[in-house]
Order: sequence, then C-alpha cells, then structure tokens
Amino acid sequence: MRIFRAALVTAILSLVTVSGLCAGDQESITVSGWQETQTVRPVLSAYTFEGGTAHMADTYLTPLHYNGWHVGFMYERMQAMAFSPERWMMQLSGRLIADHGENMSRNAVMWNLELEAAWTMMRRWNISIGAGRNLTLGIGPGTSLRAGALYMARNGNNPASAKGAWTVGANAYAAYNMRIGRLPVALRYECRLPVTGVFFAPQYGELYYEIWLGNTHGLARPAWWGNYFRMDNMLTADLRLGGTSIRLGYHADIISTKASHIVSRRITHAFMLGVATEWISLSHRHKLSDDARIIPALY
Amino acid sequence: MRKYITFLTTALLLVTFSSCHEIEEYPNNSNGNFEQLWRLFDEHYCFFEEKGIDWQDVHDRYAPQAANCYTSRQLFDVCSRMVGELRDGHVNLSAWFNTYYYREWWTDYPQNFNKRVIQENYLYFNYNQLGDITFAVLPQNVGYMRVPSFDSGIGEGNLDAILTAFNICDGIIIDVRDNGGGSMTNAETIARRFITERTLAGYIRHKDGPGHDDFSEPYAFHYAPPENRRVWTKPVVVLSNRSTFSAANIFVAFMKNRPQVTVMGAVTGGGGGMPLSFELPIGWGVRMSAAPVLDENGMCTENGIEPTEGYVMDITDADMLAGRDTILDAAIAFLTHSR
Repeated sequence: MRIFRAALVTAILSLVTVSGLCAGDQESITVSGWQETQTVRPVLSAYTFEGGTAHMADTYLTPLHYNGWHVGFMYERMQAMAFSPERWMMQLSGRLIADHGENMSRNAVMWNLELEAAWTMMRRWNISIGAGRNLTLGIGPGTSLRAGALYMARNGNNPASAKGAWTVGANAYAAYNMRIGRLPVALRYECRLPVTGVFFAPQYGELYYEIWLGNTHGLARPAWWGNYFRMDNMLTADLRLGGTSIRLGYHADIISTKASHIVSRRITHAFMLGVATEWISLSHRHKLSDDARIIPALY
Repeated sequence: MRKYITFLTTALLLVTFSSCHEIEEYPNNSNGNFEQLWRLFDEHYCFFEEKGIDWQDVHDRYAPQAANCYTSRQLFDVCSRMVGELRDGHVNLSAWFNTYYYREWWTDYPQNFNKRVIQENYLYFNYNQLGDITFAVLPQNVGYMRVPSFDSGIGEGNLDAILTAFNICDGIIIDVRDNGGGSMTNAETIARRFITERTLAGYIRHKDGPGHDDFSEPYAFHYAPPENRRVWTKPVVVLSNRSTFSAANIFVAFMKNRPQVTVMGAVTGGGGGMPLSFELPIGWGVRMSAAPVLDENGMCTENGIEPTEGYVMDITDADMLAGRDTILDAAIAFLTHSR
C-alpha cells in the first residue's frame, strides 16, 4: 500500500509538472538582450506501421507459450518544449497493436489487442563527436496508459485476460544525423522503461464472473520492476526527402508481469515502415522572421 | 565512446533478461504432459478437501503408468483415469480423438426423467416454446415450464409472456431435470422472477494461490427482482434429478430457500465449482472446478442439492411402464391440494 501511494503521488506530481510545462505555443518569442529573437519549434509527426513476430504467454489462460505474428500502428508527435526549447523536448504517442499466436501443437490460437497512449518529456544534450558531428542524448520522465486483452476462444469460463496499466517511468534516446551518399538520415534509438504505476490483475483463480458480481478487491496492483517489467526499444532511421521522411525501423517491446502467481508475458519484434514530417504552424500574426531560430524536436 | 555503448548495451540486456518472470515449462512427452496435467490440478482444483483426495498419492500411483505410455491414446487413458479420481462432472480432458468426462455422477443413478412421456401424456404435444423453454397450462390449472439448459439466454419479455400465460394458475412447476447447466446469468434471469426484494443468493470463492488451502474469503452475491416486470409469488415446485448440474444446481439451491418453493425429485448432480480451462503441451484441453459456489447458508453445493424434506422421490417402475411421471404427478397433486 505504501508503494502504491508513493507511486500515485509521484505520478500525479509528474503529470502536474508536465501539464504545466507543455502549455507553451508552437511558436514562441524569446528575449535575448535587447533584441527579440523568434524561436520556432517544428513538430515532428510520424505515422508508422509495424509488422513482425509475437511471443505471448499468460498463465491465467494457459501454461503454454504462443508464437505468431504482430502488427501495429503508431502515431508519434515530438516537439521542443516552450519553456526551454534547446534543452527539453516532449513526445506524445499513441499505438494500436494486434497479436496472433498459436500453441506448439497448433490447435489453439491466442489473440491480443491493445491500445496505448504515452507522454514523455526529455532533457537533451548535444555532444560533439568530432568532425562537426553531433550526437544528441535525451533522458526524462514519461507516463503511459495501456488497455487491452488476451483472448483464447478455446477456454470456456476464462477465455480472456484483461490488461490495463498506468505507469510512470524513464525514457531515453540517442539521435544522430548522418548522410548516406547525398541523402540525410536521422538515426534514433529510444528506450522506454516504466518504473512504477498501477496495473490490473485478477487474483490467482478469480473468474471474471466474480468481478462482474462486484468483487473488485485487489484488482489494482502497484507496479514496480519486480512485478511489472516493460522495456520498449525502438531504432529508427528517417530518410529525409525534403520536409518529409521515410521512416524505417526496428521495434522490440518486452513486457512481463507477475501478480498473484500469474505470469503474463508478451515479446514482439517488428519491422517499422512509415512517414515522418516536420511542420511549422504559421499565422498572419506570427510570421516567420528571417533570423528565426528553428529548434528541431529531436536534435 | 565505444566503452559507453558497450556498457549501455550490456546493462540493457542484463535488465531485460533478468526481469522476465519464469513460467515453468514441461516437455511434450509422456512424462511432461502427465506432470503438467497433475500440476494444473494440484494448483487450481478447488475440491480436494471436500472429496478427501490425497492428490500426491494419486500422482504416485499414476506417474509410473504414464512413464510406460508409448502412444498418445495410452497416455490419454492414464490421464483420464487419474482425473477421474476427482469424481467431478466439471473435469474434462479433450484430445483430438476423444473427450473424457466423468459420467458416474449421473450414470449411477436413476434418470427420473423422460421428455417424451411429458410431451405426450401431460402436454398432449400442445405446448408453447420461447427460446429453450417449453411451457403450457396443465388441465389441473397448474403452469408447467421446462428449462432444459441455461446455455441460451431468455429475454425478460419472454419471461413476462410465460408468467402472463400462467396468471390464472394456482401454482407453477419449473422442471430443470436433465438441465446440465450453462450460464449463471441465465439462471439468475429466471430465479429473480421469484423474489420481491434484493436477496442473498450465495457466495463465491476462488483460489488466491497454488496451495490446496489457498482460498479467498467467500464473496456474497445477491439477486434483485426485475424492475417493472412480472414476478411470481404463488406456490412453485421445482423438479430436479441427478442430471440437474452446474448452473442448474445453483438455481435449485437458490430456489429451495424461497418460502413459496418446494423442490421435488432426486438430489441434483452437483457441479458447484465454476470451471477454468487450461491445456497441455500435447495440445489437449483441460477443464476443472476452480471457484466454489456456496449456497446462501454458506454450504458447499458440489455434492448436489437435496429436495425439500419429505419430497425425495424417484419415478417408480410401475409408473414408468404406464407412461407416467411420478415426480410430476406428485408436483401437480401438491399444487392442486395446496389451494
């Protein structure tokens, strides 16, 4: 209970802080000495499809492991933050995934459907690595909300295992600009690691019928690395074709939970393909000046 | 720089692989499948104590037999006999070539029901049907409704229609003989037509750990009468037999405790544990009782519900030959004499 309370307080504080920090406009005016310099913070939006392999296990449904395919769609929005655009950036993402697996005898299937939304702010540093090249490193807190369910038609009274979690954790990324021939390429590795939060888990042999009858005791569990481990890794390469980029990438998502002796695990490896665009919103009142400082979201 | 990257990669890999929680895996061979099956029951089955079963002893007797199995059919036979020791109608083992059910919970008892006899000699093939439910008003001015299963839902409007048809009757008979159960919510839909206020219906428990004694506190559940719908407060007789099982068993347990209800017939078949399903590495499905349902007095319902005192009866041989249903006759007589 103490862990749960601490997690809740941390999460609320981080959310309050975050909501205050992200209230800035897309365009902002900063004062440098006596002269006003316009700071422009382009938004990097990416729409990505992914496909690959899935490994699933959930001992509430079956002691067996299921392997099959994974597909997903992700929207991602990144932008330097208004209060300190050179140092801080924010990231908002939404993701819908579907997994399908078969047991080793290939006579039963398991489905997983999940929706996730995440918000992150990261402090970044530009590190010179020689020859005028820079590596950008970022780290910061983030929060995410995920909901979904595993489904096995084979089971009678326990055909589904619902998943839900609200977590607060750490995010980190490294970005590097390079060229392949004449084509500019932005490489990025990002890792998301929830640290605490709450997640849904029924008791060991509890039927959803009992929950439906009203017994909701003990369904929300405080999360920590010992019972809720997740690591979301993403490696992307944005091939820049003007203002638009083709995004190629690899996405590995690992989640493993243990509550009431029930172990649930999902590991996906996927190839990503998508489109990323960097855009600036201009209006008649705020036109782009010649000396505007453009601060990209990533580096 | 290389040092940092190596350190970071190693740390990430260490964190990743050390944090996945372990799931015990059994090989797909005779021993592996047997041990997996035994372990599933050991950790999830809920009636070891009620049935006085030493599950470790069962393991020790059957494990050597499983070790000598060379075909999946031989293994299926050994595994079926092992889970048969639980004497539980909710225990199944399903392979692609056979499904094992423990049948003795009804085969060792008189059936006490013949659908054809009722349709022909009591309803004269003149009855109404809504969903799975057949109903008619008998010549003795008694309503008769047969609920053969709780697998399918019944609409509130349908129940209103049935009770409206019975409006002129002095009492009704609800026949749940041969009702093998189904959904608890379907049983509740009918049961709540016989109460006028929110009523304690029973308790449910679940395993909260793998130990044989790891159970949650009983959770009380209630039924509430439907709003703006017909409810029945006049006398009711519920007919039961040994094949009244699972959700139908719970239905009888609830109805028996209603003041206007008399249960007649034979002790029900039980099935008072809500089942969970699992599977084995070989691909066979496994089902077992996992969450005990207790009646409103906190009594286990696994061993069946006895009819109201003084109304335990079987269909007599003479009646069977004459095409009569002793239990139904007794119910009609009871309701007509209680006018």
